[in-house]
Amino acid sequence: MTYTSMESELPLDDPGFRAGNQEEEFRKFNFNLLLIQVAIFSIGMGNLISATAVQDKSQGLYLTQLVWFGVGALLSAFIVLFMHYSFFSRTAWLIYFGAVILLVLTLVMGRSSLGARRWLQIGGFGMQPSEFMKLALVVALAKFFEDDKKLGGYTFRDLIPPSIIVGIPVGLIMLQPDLGTAMILLFVATSLMLFIKINPRTLGILALCALVAAPVAYKYALKPYQRQRIVTFLDPMADPKGAGYNSIQSMIAVGSGKFGGKGWKKGTQSQLNFLPEHHTDFIYSVYAEEWGFIGSIFLLALYVMLLMNGISIAYQSNDKFAMVLALGITSIFFWHIVVNLGMVMGLLPIVGVPLPFMSYGGSSLLTAMIGTAILMNIANKKFMF
Amino acid sequence: MAFLGQEAQLRELQDRFKFLYAAMFVLLGIVGARMLYLQILSGDEMRKFSEENRIKRVRIAAPRGMIFDRSRTLLIDNRPAFDLEITPQYLNESGDRAAVLRQLSRLIDTPPEKIQERLDKGANQPRFLPVKIKTDLSRDEVAKIETWKIDMPGVAVETEILRTNVYADTATHLLGYIGSVTQLELPTLNSRGRSYSLGDYVGKAGIERELEAILRGRDGMEIVEVDALGRRIREQARGRVLADASAGRSAVPGKNLVLTIDQDLQLTAKEAFGDKSGSLVAIDPKTGEILAMISRPAFDSTAFSRGVSPGLWAELLNNPNRPLRDKTIQDHYMPGSVFKVITAITGLEEGVIDEKSTFNCPGVIRVGRRPYHCHRRGGHGTVNVVEALMYSCDVFFYRLAQKIQSVDNIADWARRMGLGARTNIRLSREVPGLIPTEQWKMDRLKKVWTAGETLSVAIGQSYVLATTLQLAQLYATLANGGTLYRPHFVRAIESPDGQVLEEFGADVVKKITLNPKTIQLVDEGLYRVVNDPRGTAFHQRIPGVDFVGKTGTSQVIRLSADRIYQKCDEMQYKYRHHGVFAGFAPKKDPSIVVAVVAEHACSGSGGAAPIARAVIAKYLEKYHPEMMRAGALALPKLRPAPPAVEEEAPPMPEGTEIEALPLIEDEPVQIPAED
Repeated sequence: MTYTSMESELPLDDPGFRAGNQEEEFRKFNFNLLLIQVAIFSIGMGNLISATAVQDKSQGLYLTQLVWFGVGALLSAFIVLFMHYSFFSRTAWLIYFGAVILLVLTLVMGRSSLGARRWLQIGGFGMQPSEFMKLALVVALAKFFEDDKKLGGYTFRDLIPPSIIVGIPVGLIMLQPDLGTAMILLFVATSLMLFIKINPRTLGILALCALVAAPVAYKYALKPYQRQRIVTFLDPMADPKGAGYNSIQSMIAVGSGKFGGKGWKKGTQSQLNFLPEHHTDFIYSVYAEEWGFIGSIFLLALYVMLLMNGISIAYQSNDKFAMVLALGITSIFFWHIVVNLGMVMGLLPIVGVPLPFMSYGGSSLLTAMIGTAILMNIANKKFMF
Repeated sequence: MAFLGQEAQLRELQDRFKFLYAAMFVLLGIVGARMLYLQILSGDEMRKFSEENRIKRVRIAAPRGMIFDRSRTLLIDNRPAFDLEITPQYLNESGDRAAVLRQLSRLIDTPPEKIQERLDKGANQPRFLPVKIKTDLSRDEVAKIETWKIDMPGVAVETEILRTNVYADTATHLLGYIGSVTQLELPTLNSRGRSYSLGDYVGKAGIERELEAILRGRDGMEIVEVDALGRRIREQARGRVLADASAGRSAVPGKNLVLTIDQDLQLTAKEAFGDKSGSLVAIDPKTGEILAMISRPAFDSTAFSRGVSPGLWAELLNNPNRPLRDKTIQDHYMPGSVFKVITAITGLEEGVIDEKSTFNCPGVIRVGRRPYHCHRRGGHGTVNVVEALMYSCDVFFYRLAQKIQSVDNIADWARRMGLGARTNIRLSREVPGLIPTEQWKMDRLKKVWTAGETLSVAIGQSYVLATTLQLAQLYATLANGGTLYRPHFVRAIESPDGQVLEEFGADVVKKITLNPKTIQLVDEGLYRVVNDPRGTAFHQRIPGVDFVGKTGTSQVIRLSADRIYQKCDEMQYKYRHHGVFAGFAPKKDPSIVVAVVAEHACSGSGGAAPIARAVIAKYLEKYHPEMMRAGALALPKLRPAPPAVEEEAPPMPEGTEIEALPLIEDEPVQIPAED
């Protein structure tokens, strides 16, 4: 391999070089992303105050969320100010295997709740390694595709290594079981692979295999309750008081907000507990009930801005690792938004997927904030070679 | 080189971003369209669903009207009953479930397994709904549970309204009882323009049933906000508005009834019956007001108001003394000698006899080859109509019947005096009794009337049947000189706050024209029955009071020749005669009439008259104390009944087909059993 003169001329080790770039960094700093993030989180916090005013297990949890936000802000600042995204390229496999080990530990010694082991207890905190796995997977794939200099579409054989990289965490998460997170991982990985370009013939065969495999997987890979969710999704009214209850109540909550909403803390579906998991997976239903169509569209617009910023950062990045990483992070956001909103509005089966910056949950919030911070970092450092 | 190669690859990748944007906008477009669909297009419908979720209509049960006696003694009340309930949700949250059940088991004296069994029964309902563990807790148990409640989460005492017969088993049949509406009853109940739903209470018998429309209130409706567990949200502080809060309305209690019944007389009658079975009706002859009306044995209707247990129901059904029947109106009996006043009136009014006419009683006469006995084997000698009533001489009335000739003449007078037809007291199970005519027998039994049967009718046997109420009505008509009143038991309907809404006075059916002489002679006869030492009820007189009446004996079975003079109390209980008595007081200006049928009491004088006497004495003591001499009541109260033979039922001639009597049977109302 030969190096261009330009690359070798960069005085990376010179402290003066770095100091001189502080100004430039500030100039290029992506304020949009920060503003959007703060805007969505603020809406989320206001909404969470309402959602956790209910007298049940969720009461007052918004305070905890604020603490997590503080932690996230510190981490973000550190990443934006003191790191270069190439650090993730260098440590990609460490991060990946670190996350995989956490997943294994979760299965072995995780906290069990409602028949699933998703939580790992560290000190006084519980964390969900599967949330961080999303970032770790994106980093690993970015690293893999960076190192892989293949031009043209990927064939079967080329797809084997990245499939293993995706398959290990997906398998571990399915064992928890956490169908929603596993699905997000698959969606994110598939999006990235499609983007990197798959050989058309291979793609055709894969699509065909997926069509054939779906019923088989439905029958054997899913647990009965997971199958029930799909049946319920197809016909929620079959059992409105039982399996279809969550989906129906959520749709009622969203729809009953009508144009202008019922007003803050006045959503009856959430305040009177008709809405299940109103502070986590169904947080959007609380919001839509109280803020109506206007509020919903406003929130959706903010998310669109977040995604477009992410994509544009990817577009403007000047190396493949950064591009894939930025796209991967953006697609994590994208799929969370689509799956969560689709699920609470009855377009998709009920799988536990949080809505970024809105749902209560430390791991989820931290992942979203770290992801955003990495995006900002990529935006800032793109010419820093 | 690699960097430049990367550059080219980046450019190639950048070309694909248009697909990314396209995919993103398509999927987010679907999400946005869904928002539009749910919130704008289906918004109204979804809002309606959400309102239906949280707004519940809660029925406020209207209390049923209360029932009072004529002096406003409370007879039927709505009283709280205490039930023990456990809400499984809270019980399970308590941690030491077993300890709670153990403690509870000690407090209510029920084994923990039994409590668990009850809980298991409610296992298929949501866990936040309470399960009933024990009903009708004693005050003591309630106090204990309330004291220890803090240690027993999920355990609660619920109060329910229990329709209570204050005097337990007194007047059960007249007052009736309530029960839950069953699926079967719904169509009938609601066809009358009223609205009942399953589980509502409705009157099933007696006054509760007949005056349902008055006693039943109108349930109220409350609009409340509930949460997902169905728990009521009490505070409205959150600013949510109950859209149709004005749609609620308060419950309107049922109207109260003031009866013509006098509870003191009821209690006296009940006491006088002791464990005898039978019935008593007391009427005010000037108005037709029922003063007392009891049927024995009875049961406590309070036990029925929340569904009777199958065990109790079976016990009541199988009791040979038929406690479920109202014997004042549902059973009719051969009136026996009490009926003789009708024969006497027929003879006097038709001019067949007068006060001087006499017949000789040799103890037995023959019609064709068949002997007709007098109850006194030796006969009464020569007797006139007054003496015949006094002695209850059967032969006199046989002879009189022979002179009257047709049974239709007797039947005519019997019907005129109100027998053979319902009194229309407005209790739906009343039977009409029976006054036979020649035509009736031909129609009914396809047989020709025989002369001998007329003789039997003359002494109140053969096919003659009357209810206790009819006998009371008959003697009331005699007492007041010929006015037939429809007996009634409601004096007034009052609003819940005690305002009189409607009053009921005398209801004259007709005035019967009777020769004053006839009345005088019959009254004299009835007077002598009680007050002449030769009278059949002399031992029941009330010194100083002109208490008059007539005894009677009603045979239960036809006796074969060898058992004609067998002593009644040596027979098997169920074959013993019924004792009948009807009378009134005082003779001048009578104010109370009493008719009694004492089942299987053998004689009217020994079995029925003492009961009538006790009621009349109590009445006079209460309303006309000036008539009662001091100590009058103490007199013959415990004196043993006179020898039964003195007024034994005349043996019924063989061949009288009492087996063919058209008994009117109706089944008691089945009450849905509560498990």
